[in-house]
Amino acid sequence: MRRRELREGAQGLLMVLPPVAVIAVFIGFPVVAAIAYTLGRAGGPNSVVASLGQRQFIVQHGVTLDAYRDVLGNKTIHRDLWATVWVTVLATLVVVVVSWAIALYLRLADTRLARIVSGLSVVPLFIPVVIASYAMLVFYSSDGFMRSVAYHLGWHSFPTLGFTLWCVFLAEVWVNIPFGVLMMSSGLNGVPNNLIEAARDSGASMPRVVRSILLPMNVIPTVIVATFTAIYVLGSFTVPYLTGPTAPNLLGPSMSNFFSAFNQPQQAEVLAIVVFVLALGIGAVYVWANVRTGKRSAVAP
Amino acid sequence: MSVSFALARSAGRRVLWFLFVGSLIVFMIGPIVWLGLRAFSGLWLYPQLLPKQWTVNGWRQVFNDPNLSHSMKLSFEFAPVVTVASAAICLPAAYAFSRYKFPGRRFLLISLFAVNAFPKIGLYISMAGVFYSLNLMATFLGVVIVQLIGTIVFMTWIPAAAFSAIPRSLEEAARDVGAGPLRVFFRVTFPLAAPAIFVAMILSFLASFDEAQGTFLVGVPKYITMPTEMYTLVLNYPEQVAAVFALLLAVPSVLLMALVRKHVMGGKLAEGFQLR
Repeated sequence: MRRRELREGAQGLLMVLPPVAVIAVFIGFPVVAAIAYTLGRAGGPNSVVASLGQRQFIVQHGVTLDAYRDVLGNKTIHRDLWATVWVTVLATLVVVVVSWAIALYLRLADTRLARIVSGLSVVPLFIPVVIASYAMLVFYSSDGFMRSVAYHLGWHSFPTLGFTLWCVFLAEVWVNIPFGVLMMSSGLNGVPNNLIEAARDSGASMPRVVRSILLPMNVIPTVIVATFTAIYVLGSFTVPYLTGPTAPNLLGPSMSNFFSAFNQPQQAEVLAIVVFVLALGIGAVYVWANVRTGKRSAVAP
Repeated sequence: MSVSFALARSAGRRVLWFLFVGSLIVFMIGPIVWLGLRAFSGLWLYPQLLPKQWTVNGWRQVFNDPNLSHSMKLSFEFAPVVTVASAAICLPAAYAFSRYKFPGRRFLLISLFAVNAFPKIGLYISMAGVFYSLNLMATFLGVVIVQLIGTIVFMTWIPAAAFSAIPRSLEEAARDVGAGPLRVFFRVTFPLAAPAIFVAMILSFLASFDEAQGTFLVGVPKYITMPTEMYTLVLNYPEQVAAVFALLLAVPSVLLMALVRKHVMGGKLAEGFQLR
């Protein structure tokens, strides 16, 4: 018996090794190397990129924070950082609220309108992000739909949102809505009907049912939607690159600029680490929320 | 009785809901429809709501441009390679996560999900840094690896959930009547999990096909796939050509997603984001 367990364990480990190794080699290792590089160490895996890059802060022994000082002292980066934080917070907030509203509507109303809404909210799943970004840009551009319609309605000075942070924000919301709605719906569908009916029968109002039953039972999906949206926006390049202004824009495009256009890979990697740190806090919440669900579902599989 | 009470009782609330739904329709569908019109417009001046002239010139231009057709070919090369590689790497792991008990199972499962905890562009930047040393910059393999990273989570999780959903008693029954472990897997387990594996493969195909930012960073200038070509198109080509190319790029996504729509809506995708 003991031997069989051992063999099974070994076999299982062996089988999960390939994806874990891919993650370790192509994510773990590069992230560690990036940390070393940003701290001034240019040896080993960083030697080639360091031989190509300009404006680097390298030390032979110990570490230096000069690269971080250089990047974080940069006024343009300050503005990018704030733009990133604001767009991330705003987009996350709107995605959570709108997907909650849609999911709630779908859960409680079984009408044709509800089905239309449900169909609409997953449209972005079918559209590659590059196209979505481009479509948003054209839609909100100076000769786009919004301005044209506004003109016909008599509003001749409707703002051009294309190539502004507003367009980035709208596009990020658009891209993230389906995931939000799917997660929230899947969470709300897990709430048994008879629970809601019982509450209704004993005289609870609809808002009361939402507040006292649906809200507390849908906390984990809400956290997951919020964390994923925030991490997605922090790590997005395509959306801000195509729809946003030259400056200040989100950190994604500036990172890419530093890496390729300015040939300053060390600065680019400093920005990457900055974004990782921002995401770390968010990611911790996500893992915590998942571990909690894990414990709960371990009881009732 | 089903839960279908009228959410909006009063007329005021009803108006609010219709406004909400109306703006949702414009917000979600408007950009795509508008882009579709662009692809056929010959002359379109602000503030007209429809093009003044219609044309298919943009389509001709796209198919005659060697750069653009080359990028289409490349996209259709990468996506299948990435999908097969991802399946080969992840499917055994999915099976092991659902069926075997081994030390560190939870930790390893969470470590796979670490992919999702990193903002993508930062990850690609760090990867590109060491890709120079590994001689992976601007190589086929380099692009495959970058795209593969984005497929690992659901290629592991969706099939794992499917394997877990198969009652062990079925497998045990087959083994009781004398089937070997391999035979049990291929005759019992695999056919039952096949639909979920199919969904995971479609999603991987699309993830690879639509991946732009990592491919842009690692593949340029040698490997410019369709989505990365869009970056250049938007800046350097007439608006109409970009619109046509965008529509073409959307075709595989729309068709394949329509194929797996039911599974994705049924919660498979949502499940993929919850660790268990």
